[in-house]
Amino acid sequence: MKVIATLIMFVFMFAGNGFAGEKQLSLDGSTTVGPIAKAFAEYFMKNDPNLNISVSESGSGNGAKSLISGNCHIGCMSRPMKDKEFKMAVENNVTPTPHVIALDGIAIVVHPSNPAKALKMEQVKEIYLGKISNWKELGGPDMKIVVVSRDSNSGTFETFNKLVMNKGNVVNTAETVGSNGAVRSRVQSTRAAIGYVGLGFVDNSLKALEIDGVYPSKKTIQTGVYPIARPLYMYTDKYPKMGSLVYQFVTFYLTKDGQQLVEEIGFIPCTSY
Amino acid sequence: MKDSLIISKRANRLRRLASLLANGGLLTVTSLSMIIVIFIILFIARDALPFFKLEGFKEFFTSTSWYPAGDPPQFGAMAIFYGSLMVTLGASMVAVPLGIFAAVCLSDVLPFQVKQVVKPVIEILAALPSVAYGFFALVILAPIMQTRGPRLFGIAAWVALVPAALLAAYFLRGFVDSRIRNEKFRKATRNITFVMAIFGFFVIISRISSFFSGLTVVSGTNALNVSLILGIMALPTIVSVSEDALNSVGRELRENSYALGATRAETVFKVVIPAASSGIVAAVILGVMRAIGETMVVWMASGNSSQIPQPFYNFLSPVRTLTATIAGDMGEAAHVQGAPRYHVLFAMALALLLISFVSNLISEWAVKRSRKKLRGESS
Amino acid sequence: MGRETLQKKTAGGILLKLQNRKLLDKSTTIINYASIFFMTVALVILLAPIVVRGLGAYIFRGTIEHRKVIFEQFQRGRPEILQNELDQVQMARQPVFDMLKSFETELDEMEGRESREMNNQLKELKGLLRELYGVLPGERDPILLRKQYGKTRWKDAREVFHQIMQAEKWDYSDPQHSRLVRFPRRDVFQGTSLEPLFDYLPLKFRETMRPRLVFYLHFLLDESKDAHFFGGIFPEILGTVYLTLFAILFAVPFGVIAAVYLAEFAGDTRFVSLLRSFINTLAGVPSIVFGLFGLAFFINTVKLSETKSVLVGGATLALLVLPTIIRASEEAILAVPREYKEASLSMGASQLRTIVSVILPAALPGILTGIIISMGRAAGETAPIIFTAAVSVGKPLKLLETFSQPTPALPWNIYNLCTEHEAVDSIRHVQFGMVFTLIAVVLTLNITAIFLRARILKKLRG
Repeated sequence: MKVIATLIMFVFMFAGNGFAGEKQLSLDGSTTVGPIAKAFAEYFMKNDPNLNISVSESGSGNGAKSLISGNCHIGCMSRPMKDKEFKMAVENNVTPTPHVIALDGIAIVVHPSNPAKALKMEQVKEIYLGKISNWKELGGPDMKIVVVSRDSNSGTFETFNKLVMNKGNVVNTAETVGSNGAVRSRVQSTRAAIGYVGLGFVDNSLKALEIDGVYPSKKTIQTGVYPIARPLYMYTDKYPKMGSLVYQFVTFYLTKDGQQLVEEIGFIPCTSY
Repeated sequence: MKDSLIISKRANRLRRLASLLANGGLLTVTSLSMIIVIFIILFIARDALPFFKLEGFKEFFTSTSWYPAGDPPQFGAMAIFYGSLMVTLGASMVAVPLGIFAAVCLSDVLPFQVKQVVKPVIEILAALPSVAYGFFALVILAPIMQTRGPRLFGIAAWVALVPAALLAAYFLRGFVDSRIRNEKFRKATRNITFVMAIFGFFVIISRISSFFSGLTVVSGTNALNVSLILGIMALPTIVSVSEDALNSVGRELRENSYALGATRAETVFKVVIPAASSGIVAAVILGVMRAIGETMVVWMASGNSSQIPQPFYNFLSPVRTLTATIAGDMGEAAHVQGAPRYHVLFAMALALLLISFVSNLISEWAVKRSRKKLRGESS
Repeated sequence: MGRETLQKKTAGGILLKLQNRKLLDKSTTIINYASIFFMTVALVILLAPIVVRGLGAYIFRGTIEHRKVIFEQFQRGRPEILQNELDQVQMARQPVFDMLKSFETELDEMEGRESREMNNQLKELKGLLRELYGVLPGERDPILLRKQYGKTRWKDAREVFHQIMQAEKWDYSDPQHSRLVRFPRRDVFQGTSLEPLFDYLPLKFRETMRPRLVFYLHFLLDESKDAHFFGGIFPEILGTVYLTLFAILFAVPFGVIAAVYLAEFAGDTRFVSLLRSFINTLAGVPSIVFGLFGLAFFINTVKLSETKSVLVGGATLALLVLPTIIRASEEAILAVPREYKEASLSMGASQLRTIVSVILPAALPGILTGIIISMGRAAGETAPIIFTAAVSVGKPLKLLETFSQPTPALPWNIYNLCTEHEAVDSIRHVQFGMVFTLIAVVLTLNITAIFLRARILKKLRG
């Protein structure tokens, strides 16, 4: 009894001023855009302690759905909205308005011990189709390729699907994981693995490959030379009211600090600032 | 004073009405559980049926092509059902023998003091949150399996098989001993048989062990990993419910068996367990239900690969289960309704519900039967 | 001859059989003990790494960077002492920065291929030094918090130090077996002004980081900064507390009332046994189905809250623990000696009165046990809150906000941090700390319940 009473007291200590004009913003969506959203949120919350910005990372598809059903203010997506989603939005009186906050390249990554340095787009597609199943077919060691892919709720997957697979189906022996971070974990611990991640997730524990002779970097993505490049979106319902919190958040990327943050996280800023 | 003991008719009626209302109110509140279950079935079924209307049954249950985002989308969930089945079987292989032996130990073998120490161990295993198990499976077990797995399997083969080999050699010696008539030869032959048997078994064991050591574990997140962890999660349920069943058999049956000269092992395995069999069946079903319905462990550590392993018994291959598919592909508001991609996940949830209902019914029937049997026997 | 042989054979036969039987008996006993032993070993293997590394989130050797973070982000620590230390550290680090600067001037004078090669090597080295020390002088101030500070844990700092001293490169000459080749990094910078760095660092490295044992109990009370790179896990703990409380608040009234009904009022009718069957069924529903139902019912249909919220999460968890509370309460009520009830009724109290004033208080310890065990369960469940209440990042909620807003929670964030996070390896200690904390909370609750139960048993027996 006493325990419960003390717990309740403890909780009431935080009752505080729940009503007093605390502003709130909720984001949901892509795990690729997630780190950017989280960094932006922290920047905003540091400058104004009355803010409460919550970030959910459940996949680009869910970001769209949350925005359409009014469950979030900003839907982060690493792919553009699909026609079906637009239709649904219109039916719900939501006008999805895209804001491109950063650029990204999907890097094809392997374990650093893998001698492979460059692959052609066709070869990547065949690996994911299952047609090439052993590294020795590409001049590497005699190991079965462990194909790592994303599950169907992922914007990264959709972009990869569109730009690389081009209507082919990923082989069903591929392991599916739920996020960029998980792809990285799998590939960095498995010598025979291959996977794809957003550029911001590439670090020393992975090796990014040249695709069709182009290495993913800020220059090659901004100039469009890297073949698997994509914009990262934040969708809002109609263009946000000037000066509102949502407006400030989705135009933050235009400021110098915003661009610097994007670059520090590892993605490509849209402009040269 | 006079009429405080005699209740007026009106007061009586009021009292009865109040009691009836209270009764009814309580009944309603209790029925809440029933209402909830019905609602769950309704809501899940309501969102699951559109899938079957749109796509039909055949592809869902017979095809292994799971491409819900494909163009055109394919919803073959057979590999996912297989994955669930495989890890459940694996978990049972770990949990059932261990659980029953442990329950026997608790009910018949251990002295009271030791029991007081062991019971908390089981309760702690039962209380650990599933995400902690999943964390262990992903962060600690999977890397070990990937780097040192084959060697560990080899060692495990030794640890498991050597005692069995010793026992078998001993039996062989006894067998030989009973067959030889000649006194002189008997001692010599039986010792020679023993030594040769040990030698032979050790050779076999080392062959088996080196076979295991020679395997390559391509991926530490696989069916074996999940089966092991799920087995440990299901153990406490099986142990405690089986122990209850074994205890409820009563002392009479056991004492009768001992009186006839049976050893403890024979009493337990030939008399007590058959008597408690329905209860043990119920325990096993409950444990298995826990394994089927577990989400976090499989989501984190099964590899989520929508395939039927090649060959079908290859536990070292990543698999995908129903629960992990729901958790991984879901997570949204009830929009994009009408899309088979949304409804198929409810179809899977419906399948899970049906499996858990049926198992529940079977286990209840088993418990009822065991109660009837025991009542019948002791009367 | 025949009979003799028969006799001998039979006698030998029975004796051996007994031997075998005894052997079987002994071996099954051994197997029995072995299975208990295996379970105990499994528990130890499960808990040991989590406890050891989880404690590492609370007790570790922290560097000057850690103290900087605590002071600048959380306003704890004494500024004079810190400033003193910072000055000393700056003195120790300055030679490193000077060497870097003179190397950069040398680099300007190099040209062509050699220049590019050295440039790449310099970039790698500077990257490692940035990991250690935070910002290098002359560079733009980063905005991301994690880039503003160096390594806060001494163990991590030592690893980076080893990476500085020993460079690694993959040797692909044999495509079948690529090998990792390690060589001292000083060979790369031989003859340049950076070479003395590799003499200086092993001597002075400790002085540049100043590690000290830290008891970071504020891990429980600090918010997390920059996606858990720094700080603690307070929002998650608070979220778990809220969710558990809501779950109990919803489930206990319904559960206890239902238990009272089943124990006191219900007859042995078919309807009642059907009811019990349904309660058992509810106990067997997979947790993810509860999550789906919570989403479909509480959020989309009933619209208990507009979006994910603690309220909905608590309601969903309440459904999960309801059967446990009903069962435990019913058992507790049935265990109250009949004499209590009969004495109360014989004194003229109505049934309702008896229940409220006599039986329930007597059954209270048992009911409490059930509640505490359910609290442990509700605190640890993940699947029901994925779609109904949990977010990866958020501020600790005030009480009134819980009705409409989601929250981070320990179980969900454990999953999130070890799969989805952008730097899973750098925050291992936070993951272990979270798992350790969650297990500690759940086990404390369960041990309390066990003690309560032991006390009840003693009381009932004595």
